[in-house]
Amino acid sequence: MSLEGKLALVTGGGRGIGRAIALKLASQGADIVIDFFRRREAAELTAKDIEALGVKAEIIRANVGDPAKIDEMFDVIGNKFGHLDILISNAASGVGRPITDIDVKAWEWTMDINVRACLLCAQRAAKLMEGRGGKIVSISSLGSRFVLPNYTVVGVSKAALEALTRYLAIELAPRGISVNAVAASAVETEALKFYFKEGLVKDSRQLTPVGRMVIPEDVANVVAFLCSEEAFMIRGQTIIVDGGTSIGLFALAGKGE
Amino acid sequence: MSVEEQVREIVARITRVDKSIITRQSTFKEIKADSLDVVQALVAVEETFGIEIPDEEAQKFQNFGDFVSYVENRVAQKERV
Repeated sequence: MSLEGKLALVTGGGRGIGRAIALKLASQGADIVIDFFRRREAAELTAKDIEALGVKAEIIRANVGDPAKIDEMFDVIGNKFGHLDILISNAASGVGRPITDIDVKAWEWTMDINVRACLLCAQRAAKLMEGRGGKIVSISSLGSRFVLPNYTVVGVSKAALEALTRYLAIELAPRGISVNAVAASAVETEALKFYFKEGLVKDSRQLTPVGRMVIPEDVANVVAFLCSEEAFMIRGQTIIVDGGTSIGLFALAGKGE
Repeated sequence: MSVEEQVREIVARITRVDKSIITRQSTFKEIKADSLDVVQALVAVEETFGIEIPDEEAQKFQNFGDFVSYVENRVAQKERV
């Protein structure tokens, strides 16, 4: 699975799952553009780690919740590279609140970053993929189809993201662009620590049949596969990476003991 | 308008509190700013002054005064360049 000579943009690529994806694609030879918003140091560190793998790394600061910033980011990519092969729509944000406390601001903030950004990035990316094909992978979560406490806005945004992924997959297929999503359960990242703090998730190690939590590299491996030609016939799908957590009543059944 | 006054107006607008209650000693909690309010205030301040405030720095702010001091320093640095 060689991505040599390819250029990948990973939104939110400075840390967590995005960082793992960026490093994985870089390890397969792709040059990487990392978009970051709030953590420049983390993005710089990831860029350094990518360069150590012998490929190019570029960092761009852009809040993907702001359409003007998305345009600026793609202008930079267009001017500097003139093309794009892979878009990983990973940047996400969210507000953990019970339904009664969700206001318009929290709703729009989450939707703009988690869903609209993927649409706008895909539109711009498709132009840069013109004539060369491409891969787009969005990063979803189990909250798109299962209910987690205080996760409404994010869960709904992820459901919309998965639907958007299907529509993109069909409309962009004739242009040689394949589009899929990867949905993970709770992944051991900094964001998860925030969710623990906010009471959004409990330690899910006990709930995972394989006995450990999902780590960012688990997600990155699947993303890399979806970016390979081996995944050519997979279109518009959401691949779940959760160690089996979601498919049964495992937690209720007491771990099969 | 001073940097402090501009930052106060931005924070008051985003958190929907009366700006007269925001003193340099006010914590974000006292202003009832949740994590989204804080990020939006940071972004608004960044755009107003053309500066970047990384989270690594923002996390050090104990109160509104720390926030203002940081912005004042960055604006002053920018003016020197």
